[in-house]
Order: sequence, then C-alpha cells, then structure tokens
Amino acid sequence: MSHKSIHKDLIFYLDNELPAQRKAVVEKHLEECADCRIFLAFLKEKMDLLEEEKDPDVSPFFYTRLSARLGEKPEYARQRRWVNVLEPAFFSLLLVVAIYAGLRLGSQASAPSPQPQEMVSLQLLNDFEAEPIESFLLE
Amino acid sequence: MDEALLIKGIQQGDHDSFRILVGKYQQMVVNTCFGIVHSRADAEDLAQEVFLEIFTSGENFRGDAKLSTWLYRIAVNRSLNLVRNRKRKGFFQSLEDAFTGGKNRNREITGHTGDQPDERLSGQQRADILHHAVDRLPEMQRIAFTLNKYEELSYKQIAEVMKISLSSVETLIHRAKMNLQKQLYICYKKKCI
Repeated sequence: MSHKSIHKDLIFYLDNELPAQRKAVVEKHLEECADCRIFLAFLKEKMDLLEEEKDPDVSPFFYTRLSARLGEKPEYARQRRWVNVLEPAFFSLLLVVAIYAGLRLGSQASAPSPQPQEMVSLQLLNDFEAEPIESFLLE
Repeated sequence: MDEALLIKGIQQGDHDSFRILVGKYQQMVVNTCFGIVHSRADAEDLAQEVFLEIFTSGENFRGDAKLSTWLYRIAVNRSLNLVRNRKRKGFFQSLEDAFTGGKNRNREITGHTGDQPDERLSGQQRADILHHAVDRLPEMQRIAFTLNKYEELSYKQIAEVMKISLSSVETLIHRAKMNLQKQLYICYKKKCI
C-alpha cells in the first residue's frame, strides 16, 4: 500500500470511518512512517479544534436584545419593503435612461454632419475679406 | 409545550410562545451560524435575524418539515449570505488596497491584534487555519460538513435540511473531508503553524 494512498485515508481514520481491514493497514503504516504520524497529530489537533469551539456560549442578554429588536421590527420591515420596491424600480429607470441616451447618441453620430455647410459659409466670408473693397465697389 | 402549539402561538403573534421557542433553539441556531461564519458576535446577530424572520413570517411555515429543519435552513441561508457579502466587501477592499497601497487595511489589522496576549493569538491563529480550510470548501460541501461536525446531525437530517438525497450527503461529506485534509496538508507542508 503506497504512502500516498495511506495519507488520503488519515482523516477517515481519525473519524473511525475505515473498514477494519483498511484500518489495520493504516495502523501498520503509521508504526513505520514518522512523517504520517506527525501529519496525523497535526490533523488531529486541527479537527479537535472543531470540538472545542462547538456550542459557543450564547449571551445571557440574547432574548432581551431580540425582544428589543422585535419592537423595532415593524418599522424595519416597512422600510425594507419600500427598499425592495424602490431599488429595482430605480435601477430599471436608470437602465431605460441609459439605453435612451445610447440610442440618442447613436442617431446623432449617424446623422450627416453640419460641418461642410459651415465650412462653405466660412469660406465665403474669407473670400469677402480677401477681396479689396475698391474692386468690389467697381464691380 | 408541543411543537404544533408553539408554532400556532407564534403564527398568532404570541410573545410567550416566541420566548419558549427562542429558549429552546437559540443554542442550536447560534452554533449552526457559528460553524459557517466563525465569529460568535456575527453568529448571535444572525441567530437574532433568524428568530425575527420566524416571528414575522411564521405563517409561511407549512408544517411539512420539523421546526428545527426550518430553523436550520434559515440559519444556513442567512449565514451564507453574510459570507457572500463579506467576500464581495473583500473584493472591494482589495481594490481599495490597490489604490491606497493597503494603508487603511494595515491600520485595521494592527488595531485588532495589538492588545492580545501571545497565547490567545496563537490559539486564534490555529483556529484561523482550520476556518480558512473550511471556508475554501465548495458551498454544498461546507454546509453538509458544518451540519455534521458542529451540529452532529445525521446524514438523514442533513438530507432533509438541504433537500437532497442521502447518497448526495454521503458524497458531499466524503469530498469535504478529502478537500479539508488536502488544504491542511498544504498548510502542514508550508509549516504555517
């Protein structure tokens, strides 16, 4: 039986969940393998912590605090109900506004640009400036 | 008091029935929450939320399961929600750390540990290793493992709480133990404590 396969079974060995034959094999290996023994001790220490921290002491004021919160509960529940309604409504509205803004921007981008017309009028003005006033009056 | 009477009393808003229910199940609910959130204060807060939910929505209890099964379900769901919120906050915290260079975070940590005796700190570190390994288990494995180890529920009871088959519970707990051992072996090899 390989060292690796024994290693995999150590947690089940600790929990006494191995069949008798397999348990005997693991125990035999543990007698010979120092590394597995040390890891088993490490594993046991950690798993024992679970037992130690089980059933933490509950505060003696648990019910006092609870009944105080119970008094606040209707108001809290009412607030939560409003939040539950308003929150999705707000985000839906935000989404609709964002889509509308996106569509508006898209349509503006695809519309023909007014730039050429502006450039023509600008050019005419420039021509006017460039032409001497005397020749303009003579014409 | 009979369980059916207790539930009926709570559904009618009877505070005495509620007090009896809390007295009977508070340890169980706190313990279940603690197994998932690993903090006594958080576990007590969650347990209070569980009982408030029972009192305010008692009419939802259809009586097709035991009262304790219903309590376990609410306790597990609320605890998992807290863990998910913490993870989300942790993500934003890591983003904040990335921008602030972790200055705020460091201050927080030193503030917490500065006045603790070495012995207690070492005990806490040992517990942290175990909690970290348990927290890394996939959600379903973690629920099954926690209910089995902290609450010592039978596989059949766990199956009822989680609404899954008995063989699924066996598989989940087997995999949870294998994964936990794997996590702890990594830690052992790195000599983390």
